Amino acid sequence: MWMLLFLASVLAIYGILFAVMPDKASMALRISGHVFLNIIVPLCVVFILMVVLNLFLKPAHIARFLGKGAGIKGIVLSVAAGIISTGPIYAWYPLLKELREKGAGDFLIAIFLNNRAVKPFLLPIIISYFGWTYVLILTVCTILGSLPVGYAVDAAVKEKTDLSSHI
Amino acid sequence: MSTQGAALRIAISAEGPDLQAKVGDRFGLSQYLVIVDSETMAFEAVPNPGASGQRGTGIQAVVLAISKNVNTVLTGSMSPTAKRHLSANGIEVLTGLCGTVAEVVEKYKKGDLQKHGGVGRKPEARGAEIDKVALVHALRSSANQFAHLLPILVGVVLLIGIFKAIVSKDLVSSIFSGNTAWDTLWGACFGSIVAGNPINSYVIGGELLEYGVSLFAVTALIIAWVTVGLVQLPAEMAALGRRFALVRNAVSFALAIAIAIFTVVVLNFVTR
Repeated sequence: MWMLLFLASVLAIYGILFAVMPDKASMALRISGHVFLNIIVPLCVVFILMVVLNLFLKPAHIARFLGKGAGIKGIVLSVAAGIISTGPIYAWYPLLKELREKGAGDFLIAIFLNNRAVKPFLLPIIISYFGWTYVLILTVCTILGSLPVGYAVDAAVKEKTDLSSHI
Repeated sequence: MSTQGAALRIAISAEGPDLQAKVGDRFGLSQYLVIVDSETMAFEAVPNPGASGQRGTGIQAVVLAISKNVNTVLTGSMSPTAKRHLSANGIEVLTGLCGTVAEVVEKYKKGDLQKHGGVGRKPEARGAEIDKVALVHALRSSANQFAHLLPILVGVVLLIGIFKAIVSKDLVSSIFSGNTAWDTLWGACFGSIVAGNPINSYVIGGELLEYGVSLFAVTALIIAWVTVGLVQLPAEMAALGRRFALVRNAVSFALAIAIAIFTVVVLNFVTR
């Protein structure tokens, strides 16, 4: 609902702009049209990719392997889970809480959260703006960068647990 | 149909932790999930974390069933959302049941439930039929995802139009001065405050780039958009703990800056 509210607010701004500065408003509309033209083809590819991913990946299957496995295997599974997970982050919190209570490590949960930045079905859009090379470097850096975040979170939470167990 | 061949793991929503317990009326709110091996009748009773009736209870029972690798769920009733999630994970769902856990399992094994009022469908249906069902489901999910993404994207693109028509390049360059460190920091700050589907960050970033903002700043924005979230920080703290959320967001913020600088430096080196 709030999505439509956002769009309605933007349209209201256009309404006001057309009343106050009609030349600027039509210029803004022209620029927006141009941006749409640029992204329309990548957007169609995004939709096709979404269908393909939805056909072969079941998001809730991720629950089966997130937080499982130790060492490299656990990391790879969490990275993969983050990359193929879809939907707003809010939908994932109850599941993550549940998994954590069942013993999934903070290290792997943090890795999962940070790898949500890699979105395979949005590749057409980001590539159309920034090119293959950039996207490749950024993706590798994002995946590798999730490891120090995982270590830091794990160390910080462990430190707190250790401290409280001494009190 | 499903009763032949290998043993199945059947989850029954129940009011008690054994085979004599009554089948729960509502899947999400039942006290236990009793998981029965269809061949040996060995069972495991798992308390339903969602039995309290608080918000999001249905999904907790769904997660429980999925994580227990069950093949079939038998229950009194279930929300369409929970049924959809379970079916999407290859779990057969049969509703409208009453009696004891042992009774419904026996009926299921005889195939009575499937004949009378079995509501769920078996995802392992054969050949072209399953492909068609899966494709329709995938199309519907994608259309749903797309419908959620589109209104915001349209709004963002329309705002970009206003921004470009009204805000001068001079104003933008007074904020993004060309100083790599400051620009990257501003980009990461902007990405941390705003949240939502990353597609918007790509479009905004791409357009800012055309406006003369450096790739360092745009990259930091794109990374921080997903990895740092001030808006969802309270929700993350509630789910995973205060310390977890604060440390993860703080380290991700610093890392967004580091990764942005590293990415652009490597890109410049590679494309030189």
